[in-house]
Amino acid sequence: MKIAILSLGGMGAISLSKIIAQIAINSKLSVKSTEIHGMAKKGGLVEIHMKIDEVDLSPFISKNEADFIILFDAMYKDYALYFGNNIIGLTENDKNYVISKFKDIKFANSFLLGRFIGAQSIFTKNDALKILENFKNKDENIMALEDGFNDI
Amino acid sequence: MKFFLSGNEAVAFGLLETKVRFISGYPGTPSSEIIPTAIKLKKQYNLKGYFEWSVNEKTATEEAVAASFANLNSAVVFKQVGLNVAMDPFMNAAITGTVGSLVIISADDPGPHSSQTEQDSRFLAFFAKIPVFDPSTPQEAYEMAKCAVNFSKENELPVMLRTTTRISHSRKDIEINTDGFKNDLDIDFKKNQDRFAATPHFRYLLHKNLNQKIDKISQNNTPKMFFNGKTLIITSGVSFAYLYDLVIRYKLENKITLAKFDMPYPVNQDNLQKTVDTYSDTIVIEESYPLIEMQIKNRTSVKGRLDKTVPNEGELTIDTIKNILIETKILNTEKSDIVKPPFKKPSLCPGCGHRSAFFAIKNVFKDDAIYTGDIGCYTLGINLNAVDTVHCMGASVSFAFGFDKAYSLANKKKPIVATIGDSTFFHSGITPLIDAVHNKASFLLVILDNSTVAMTGNQKTPSDSEDSFDNPANSIRIEDIVKALKIKFFKTEDAYNLESSEKILKMAKKFIETNNEPAVIILKHPCVYTKEGLSKNIHFNNVFVDEKLCKGCRICIEKFECPALVFDDTKNVVKIDAATCINCGQCVKSCPFNAIRIEK
Repeated sequence: MKIAILSLGGMGAISLSKIIAQIAINSKLSVKSTEIHGMAKKGGLVEIHMKIDEVDLSPFISKNEADFIILFDAMYKDYALYFGNNIIGLTENDKNYVISKFKDIKFANSFLLGRFIGAQSIFTKNDALKILENFKNKDENIMALEDGFNDI
Repeated sequence: MKFFLSGNEAVAFGLLETKVRFISGYPGTPSSEIIPTAIKLKKQYNLKGYFEWSVNEKTATEEAVAASFANLNSAVVFKQVGLNVAMDPFMNAAITGTVGSLVIISADDPGPHSSQTEQDSRFLAFFAKIPVFDPSTPQEAYEMAKCAVNFSKENELPVMLRTTTRISHSRKDIEINTDGFKNDLDIDFKKNQDRFAATPHFRYLLHKNLNQKIDKISQNNTPKMFFNGKTLIITSGVSFAYLYDLVIRYKLENKITLAKFDMPYPVNQDNLQKTVDTYSDTIVIEESYPLIEMQIKNRTSVKGRLDKTVPNEGELTIDTIKNILIETKILNTEKSDIVKPPFKKPSLCPGCGHRSAFFAIKNVFKDDAIYTGDIGCYTLGINLNAVDTVHCMGASVSFAFGFDKAYSLANKKKPIVATIGDSTFFHSGITPLIDAVHNKASFLLVILDNSTVAMTGNQKTPSDSEDSFDNPANSIRIEDIVKALKIKFFKTEDAYNLESSEKILKMAKKFIETNNEPAVIILKHPCVYTKEGLSKNIHFNNVFVDEKLCKGCRICIEKFECPALVFDDTKNVVKIDAATCINCGQCVKSCPFNAIRIEK
């Protein structure tokens, strides 16, 4: 499975990629990723490519290769389409929902994790819950995951 | 047990497993996560070891060299331009050789993604005559870190481990044996003046010894061979991983033979020539500069960077390499368009004290001054037009010196404002300031003090009162350093106090107009990117734009340049982005119509 994640700094995309990786490791699947972010600490593009259970040495995803693109900001929609059509996105409404419910945009990552889990067929919701249960803000993260999962 | 490790984290694991117990360095993307990982592992496994940030790369390298002389396995970590700062001790460490292992980890940044240059650290290994390992994946970074430590010990030579951004910042599930951390150390410096304090007379012999070691190492350095095709492609580092994947994806096993060097210097040149001569075509594809390519003696059948088959600038991505295979008719498919993400100008974080400082500086000095900037978050003062030059660490101060002397030769008076961060000041801002005081250069130096190395992940600075293990450390105060230099105009203010900042900036302006002396102002404000800084920061209930008062003039966006101020094209007014605004209220003063309001 090949996943591209496009996000803005400060929204928790790197944690999201680590959660997905841990789910893969727990399922005894190989996983690799690469991340790149520019100079800005907040608000700049964060781009992550991930490969789960693929033989490639490099984590890079080329044109039209991604099985899923997790898109945190519609600003990068055109760029997302370069990698493929299967976009799991965060709309302006989703964003406002996350901010008003959890008071921090960071929980967008668990929300999108829920959506991603619902969209693919390798991992179950329980696989994801097992990881989130060890989190400091586990209640909020699990709630955000459920919200994303139930609203595809 | 399997861990999901970045290349940098994997290097730290590898170093600690091979008993490296002294790691020094200076933060710099993409190398910054190695030392924090070592610090974490030391805490977790209760290891004996000194793992800490140093004040700059030269000092860090000297510290690590001495630890190696005392028979302690050591490493020093920095980004590629950090190696430039460390060149003096680095070059000489090759001549003296080492006792305990010494691994120099230099992280290159082809692209570049966050650097001034695209230089190839491997060339500096070649220049110093030391072996260099070039990993292709985070897995190899882990293995080669261990190899480098052992290789250094065996050959009594410093060994370089060169990573690139794509290795340092890629991750993989890696099997780690955590039983490998041992605590037995055998510290002993055996005096030998002919080696460790050699006069030039003995240096010739040490150099001869180095040449013999490198000759011997090169004898055994032959490439690993993959596939069985007519065209030979010689490669190393991350480019190998891309080539390997392309061969599998496009079924090129019968068209390409891959020759991979784990150690691209020193290679066995005779052996390499024989290999090259058995193929009708050879291409060398390696990240950054043509290091292996230039070690091939007869290059008549060789394509690479030297004949421009491989581009001489920019990152060698998998798509760039694919296009090279298409152009050289090895691969017959449609060329990849090299698509880059839409460019978004990087900005200081919402609420950053540096922005307030630049805003105040700009209000006082307008467009009249020459603004010399420095390396760090505050490079982004370019967005407020308060930075005209960014060159290398500490150059804000020395550039201000140079500009002042150049203008004064023509009897011209030009206001010059240098801006530098606290950590960069410690790194290499102090020495040019000494020169400026002694040689009477007139400029204003503003030290933007947020008490952290913010750009690279909030590492500690010498002003911290605790080390990385929460033990008490002596806090070095920048104020005391400035006072010791007897700077005649010196003031300190919180960058958030815009009015008093502007007042002292005006006083400083007058001072440098009438005195041939530097003036220094420290504008402090804790970094709001840290949890502590953000929790202590002033936080209004709400900061909002009164749409009736907003004229849609965009003055706030242009002059204050906070990414949380966004223009609403439909309403023709500015609005505040709730997702990024931290309600600090610093933008209020940027609106001439009082349209930005705060609710306390």
